[in-house]
Amino acid sequence: MIWTIAKREATSLFRTPLAWSLLSVVQLVLAYQFLTQIEIYLQFEDKLRAMPEAPGITEVIISPILGLSAILMLFVIPVLTMSSLSGERRNGTLTLLYSSPITSRQIVAGKFLGLWALLTVIWVIAALMPLTLMWGAPVDLGVYLSGLLALMMLMTAYAGIGLMFSAMFAQPAVAAIATFGILAGLWLIDWATHLQQEAGLLSYVSSLNHFQRLARGLIDSTDLSYFAIITAVSLYLTAWRLDGDRKPL
Amino acid sequence: MGDDTLLAARDLTRYYHGRKVLYGIDLELRRGEVLGFLGPNGAGKSTTMNILCGVLAPHGGKVSICGYDLMREPLSAKRRLGYLPEIPPLHLDATVDEYLRFCAHLRGLRAQETNAAVDKAKRDCDLGEVAARLIGNLSKGFRQRVGIAQALLHQPAVVILDEPTSGLDPNQIRAVRKTIQDLAHNHAVILSTHVLSEAQTLCSRVAILHHGRIAFNRCIGEEDDILRLRFTNAEAAPDWERIDGVHSGESSGPGRYRLRVDNFDLAAESICRLAVEHGWGLRELSRDTSPLEQVFVDLTCNDPVEST
Repeated sequence: MIWTIAKREATSLFRTPLAWSLLSVVQLVLAYQFLTQIEIYLQFEDKLRAMPEAPGITEVIISPILGLSAILMLFVIPVLTMSSLSGERRNGTLTLLYSSPITSRQIVAGKFLGLWALLTVIWVIAALMPLTLMWGAPVDLGVYLSGLLALMMLMTAYAGIGLMFSAMFAQPAVAAIATFGILAGLWLIDWATHLQQEAGLLSYVSSLNHFQRLARGLIDSTDLSYFAIITAVSLYLTAWRLDGDRKPL
Repeated sequence: MGDDTLLAARDLTRYYHGRKVLYGIDLELRRGEVLGFLGPNGAGKSTTMNILCGVLAPHGGKVSICGYDLMREPLSAKRRLGYLPEIPPLHLDATVDEYLRFCAHLRGLRAQETNAAVDKAKRDCDLGEVAARLIGNLSKGFRQRVGIAQALLHQPAVVILDEPTSGLDPNQIRAVRKTIQDLAHNHAVILSTHVLSEAQTLCSRVAILHHGRIAFNRCIGEEDDILRLRFTNAEAAPDWERIDGVHSGESSGPGRYRLRVDNFDLAAESICRLAVEHGWGLRELSRDTSPLEQVFVDLTCNDPVEST
């Protein structure tokens, strides 16, 4: 049942020009950044060699690529998730799901997995380009893999938030704007506290903070739990919202 | 509840933003029955149908389908239910085949049952020629038929169709009516429509909903052959039941009568003879071609509830 909905969600996403245009833009931007970073590395290669504990090719090229991917997700994910449930609501197809022998949780799980399939393609695009460096340069595999894990966790949590707003609003555009607002808010929330020495509450809430720590290679259960909790809570609220459609107010 | 009762709704109530829209709806549907669900726009038909299908929950009352409570055992109940909402829930970016297969999986059909079910639904709804086309490119009539096909796919015991013939051309309407009549052999069907003649030909029973209440719920059939009379002599008021072929009679205005007749020809002949013998001044004697329309208008027009 979950698989049926996931397959349908993924197929319908890949049928829209939206998904393909987003994929191509992401690819284009990341490729440009990739080439720029290689250029920068080649320019400063000699100076870097002379420095003790100089940043390696992973820090100079791969980390910025993954960082940029995370920023792109602030824009990409709201657009991808906006129609997921609000589109069904608008077209009246939610009725089909509601009158079928299937629970709200199964609907949400199916929708989420379908979105995840497309996000995995984006993730692979971000992962493959730096991987080509391995042909001729020493890539720090630990930092690279941990960066990829960070990106995947971040995308998963963002997709959860996107799906939640898509369930809340009947207009996809409103869902996208609300998702973008929350994602940008979580990203920027602790900017003002950067100057302070102690990590405050805001830095715990900040997705940038958790992402950066993971991307640097510091795999900490706090950071992993942060993204896992956001995903779980938003999916729970999505199912709760769908149940609310049917329950008397 | 008898074994043949496939759907039972008891005392359904529902509010919208604090306003009561359904006042204790009771419905019962047996195997082989086609219930025509009529009512003016805004009477609560779609709300009731949504509640019967588990799309909405009622504030009070309960629905059971084949003995399964829709609130307590929603999955078992919904497996036995097919629903075509007012707006067919179609995926415009999918082909007819893809969409029907998706619906079959949603209803829990196994892989080996799916092919046979999809083929049968396509045959029943005459969709073979458009099976590989995108639903978004189909005409309204075909879309409506795809909507009906998804409701029948899993051979549900109860089929609920909200205005299934809207937007169809006369030939398609005939085809859909035939499908509904075939369905009635083994299933129970609820059919909402604004076309009263359709309800009259298809349905074994009619329920008229008005202002959130069931205002009329009765079997329709032969006994509803109605004869309309008008006399110039307003005094003419015989004992109608004693006239050959007449079942009962009632006055519908000065000198006007509506008679329920068992045998139209015999009744007409007797009345003509009596009218001449007694000098009633017969001005009109006609068959009421849509007695249901009269009932509908009587129940839903100019009623005092409107102002409250």
